[in-house]
Amino acid sequence: MIDPASFRDPSGYVFRRDGILYRAIQPMASADWTAFEERGLAGELINDGLLVSHAPVPLDLAPLPGAAFVIQPLEIALISYPYEWAFSQLREAALLTLEVQRRALGVGMWLRDASAYNVQFDRGRPILIDSLSFEVADPSAPWPAYRQFCKHFLAPLALMAHRDLRCGLLLRDFIDGIPLDLAAGLLPGRTRFGGLLPHLHLHAGAERRAQKMQIPGVATEPSAPRRTRAMSATRHLALLDSLRRSVEGLRLEPGGHWLSYTRHSSYSPQAAESKHQIVERMLAAAGGQVVWDLGANVGTYSDLAAGPGRQVIAFDQDPSVVELHWRNLAPDARESVLPLVMDLTNPSPALGWAHQERRSLLERGPADVALALALVHHLAIGNNVPLPRVADVLARSGRRLVVEFVPREDPMVQHLLASRRDIFTEYSIDGFRAAFGERFVTLDEAPVSDSLRTLFLMERRPA
Amino acid sequence: MPPIGYIDPGSGSLLLQALLAAILSLPFVFRRTIGGFWHRLRGERVDEPAPSKVRSSDRSNPGHS
Repeated sequence: MIDPASFRDPSGYVFRRDGILYRAIQPMASADWTAFEERGLAGELINDGLLVSHAPVPLDLAPLPGAAFVIQPLEIALISYPYEWAFSQLREAALLTLEVQRRALGVGMWLRDASAYNVQFDRGRPILIDSLSFEVADPSAPWPAYRQFCKHFLAPLALMAHRDLRCGLLLRDFIDGIPLDLAAGLLPGRTRFGGLLPHLHLHAGAERRAQKMQIPGVATEPSAPRRTRAMSATRHLALLDSLRRSVEGLRLEPGGHWLSYTRHSSYSPQAAESKHQIVERMLAAAGGQVVWDLGANVGTYSDLAAGPGRQVIAFDQDPSVVELHWRNLAPDARESVLPLVMDLTNPSPALGWAHQERRSLLERGPADVALALALVHHLAIGNNVPLPRVADVLARSGRRLVVEFVPREDPMVQHLLASRRDIFTEYSIDGFRAAFGERFVTLDEAPVSDSLRTLFLMERRPA
Repeated sequence: MPPIGYIDPGSGSLLLQALLAAILSLPFVFRRTIGGFWHRLRGERVDEPAPSKVRSSDRSNPGHS
């Protein structure tokens, strides 16, 4: 079956056969593909962990006739999208893209596109997944992916660093990157005097002028830029070096305004220790290879779930919390924990053409285990989601579930109720058992000592 | 064979790129040649330092609510 998201680039397509992912390369791209392999660029990028590895496979695996090559790329287990990344993750992906472009220029090739969607996080490191992004460069012509790089990486990073971390979510609305005029308009005026001047502010102005000139009757057409001979190998490297400096110049200062708050524990040391032990026991019993930690905060319990042979995606709705989590992960911990920005009350939708280019959160599930600690009361009371509906989404998130019930008397629930009318008559442990009993079978149940909370290990009922 | 790019590079963007690259190549070449030679004479690194890793003091450890 051909991947419905694989249609923009005519030089190849992605397909699945018997569940395995393959990529077909069309004859129009075969010279570029051969150069990519023969010039040693493919091998170098794969060896250095910058590009996903691939193996050649027989041509007759392709569903359509005429493919010049068919390869089987190593499949990344956890697919995530740029609008789900923390600032530092997007920044690392940007620097990866520039480094790949630099190496490609070294052998007379370049990236045909610079889409942030071509990058995934694999065991804690950004990696390019589109092996078909390379073509033989024409050093006298401009880099065709320059604008795309600025829209996919520079604009969102600049907005996150200089305006608000939540601006990263704009990528959800603008699937081909944030329009440069929008970014330039939203950025503070002071950014006109720094590293963002050339590639963002002047860039936005140049685009505006070009658009005006292209309206028939208003002015003459600009000269065909493809034919300009304004570039050279050195100029390409200079442009790339400047882009790298611009990206590296974008930082979130520790303790700056981006760190809006930190959440504090309401547990006594005894309760924390008890919860830790119970969660550890339930996770061991739950088994599985992929865990979704829903409402992970800075990942206190993600660490418990992670380990050899087990990957954790740690979701939190607050981009600053996800940023903190990512920064605080040690390199070896990053191999098994991927923090992502996700608001469970409005999770990532299916996006793009026919809703098939980017998958929704639930389409990427279910995980083997869903971990929902200190979450249900936020959904049920903080967001008015009835308990049966909470159970429904959690059943679509994980085959097994480790879930915490926090009763009405708990200080955290009292805090949620402090400013509003208590209309949650169903919110009780009996209501919780009834709602979740429709979807799950309880395998284990344990009260957290020195607290009013209860932890459950559940397995979802067959649909 | 000309490149077979499939994305629209944008005409304004291409013109700006050519202009910027011409300007940027002057300091770029300077840093790589004369500037690099000068730094090496002084025993300094030629490249600017890589962005600093997050220091342990940046870490905070808030718990679950």
